[in-house]
Amino acid sequence: MRTAPIVATGLVRRFGDVVAVDGVDLRIEDGEIFGFLGPNGAGKSTTVRMLTTLLIPTAGQASVAGYDVVRQADEVRRRIGVALQDAAIDPLMTGRELLALQAVMYGLPRREHRRRGDELLERVGLTAAADRRVGTYSGGMRRRLDLALSLIHRPTVLFLDEPTTGLDPMSRITLWDEVRSLNREGTTVLLTTQYLEEADQLADRVAIIDHGRIVRQGEPRELKAQVGAPTLWIDVDAAQSVAATEALARFGELRPAAEGRVGVGLGAGASGVAEVIRALDERGVGVRHLELHEPSLDDVFAEATGYHLEGA
Amino acid sequence: MIRETLAFARRSLIGRLRQPESLAPSFVFPLFFAALGVSSFGKAATRLPGFPADSYLAFSAAGAVIQGVLFGATAAASDLATDIEGGFWERMVASPVTRSSIVVGRLASSFVVGAVQAAVFLAVFMAFGVRVHGGIGGFVGVVVGGGLIGLAVAGLFAGFAIRSGSSEAVQGAFPLVFVLLFLSSAFFPRQYMSGWYRHVADVNPTSHVVEGLRQFVTRPLGTQQFATAWGIPAGVAVVSIGFALRSLHRRLAAP
Repeated sequence: MRTAPIVATGLVRRFGDVVAVDGVDLRIEDGEIFGFLGPNGAGKSTTVRMLTTLLIPTAGQASVAGYDVVRQADEVRRRIGVALQDAAIDPLMTGRELLALQAVMYGLPRREHRRRGDELLERVGLTAAADRRVGTYSGGMRRRLDLALSLIHRPTVLFLDEPTTGLDPMSRITLWDEVRSLNREGTTVLLTTQYLEEADQLADRVAIIDHGRIVRQGEPRELKAQVGAPTLWIDVDAAQSVAATEALARFGELRPAAEGRVGVGLGAGASGVAEVIRALDERGVGVRHLELHEPSLDDVFAEATGYHLEGA
Repeated sequence: MIRETLAFARRSLIGRLRQPESLAPSFVFPLFFAALGVSSFGKAATRLPGFPADSYLAFSAAGAVIQGVLFGATAAASDLATDIEGGFWERMVASPVTRSSIVVGRLASSFVVGAVQAAVFLAVFMAFGVRVHGGIGGFVGVVVGGGLIGLAVAGLFAGFAIRSGSSEAVQGAFPLVFVLLFLSSAFFPRQYMSGWYRHVADVNPTSHVVEGLRQFVTRPLGTQQFATAWGIPAGVAVVSIGFALRSLHRRLAAP
């Protein structure tokens, strides 16, 4: 059986008395985008730094691309792309010069440097800025260059540590598109984020980490379903509230609501909406407005940790 | 490893050239001190019996070279610390690059910067009438000596940079080296010193290096000059590069 690209078992990292990562187990399959979700200081970056050979685990084991991150660190480094938090890029060099340096660092043959550099600059939309010093780049341009740098040697596993933190919405969407496109080409991606929307948009599976421990792991839809059924909120005439409530009772648990509004947790999921409308229609209840509220990853987060990530 | 070292050296040189403000002190201060010395002691110095040069300007050339190289080498080590502080270090160590090339590349650039600085200083002094008695060999002697001094000092400071990971700590240690320079024969011949100052200058290796460099300018070429102006910094460089590489391995072994 082929080893999964990223496997961690009981990964622990202590800094003195502080336990930053406390027994993380992960298995990320080939071709997945895996979202590692948590607030600042939860242990996301420390885990990534262990998986990318930058930190030695205090306990536990991990393999990346089939190689042990401690004993075969160089083999791991040859196969992974790493874009760490804050896009540490030399501001005095140009984008093209940095790509050439990165090509040397990853042992690309000299004749390939220029071609691969140009290819990546075009891919991330930086061809026009290639010969400008990085110090003149915007935050989004730096992130895109950082991504290009991490791809120079065509890695099979890509680590993106908070790739969109501090970016404007447009830059964020551009980067998401690029991550999706890389993934379609077969790259396995582990990305850490504190943005729920990012994890929801990109990740096939997510792990929620809090105080160094993984508290939930699975597909976003599956995790949200575990939190509870989606709630359908319907605005009706105040005089029809009772009739509406009676009609909804058989579809699931009723939610407390103000007069003129009824809510029900749809046991059958979102597919039950049409039947609810028909039931209301049969009883002659007019619908003024309706909205379906699906549980969010923040609800999952709150259920797992006792507090909300958004605004944390 | 050679390709990687050259690539890192190139990056370091690009960084130096694109920060002219960081290079400026290494040219301005030594020339300022030399001009100050000439205007203060220029006439008196050459009347002293046994003064070891045709003029105070010729005498001060070696001291100016060392001062400039000290500034430049510290800046290179400070850049290394900035890499650690700013995260570029992690980019390098997350790659499969040979670890020692990261440091050796930076130090190689210090050799180049030191040699170029020495050549520029000597050219400026020659423009003001200094004659290099060692001829082309003497000129090359000063230039290579400048490079070796740059290498030796950068190795020492690179070790501090890697251990501390702080550019401020590196810059904070710089005055210590400058004190060594002032307690040497860089600005005044040893034979006119007395007391503890003379004793310190006698045992201070900087005195012997500066005198070796000076003799390339003030005397015909001889083996003694190479032994002191090249031999001492080369020996120190072996030790300081060892210190820097040891610091590197220590840092990498306990991340």
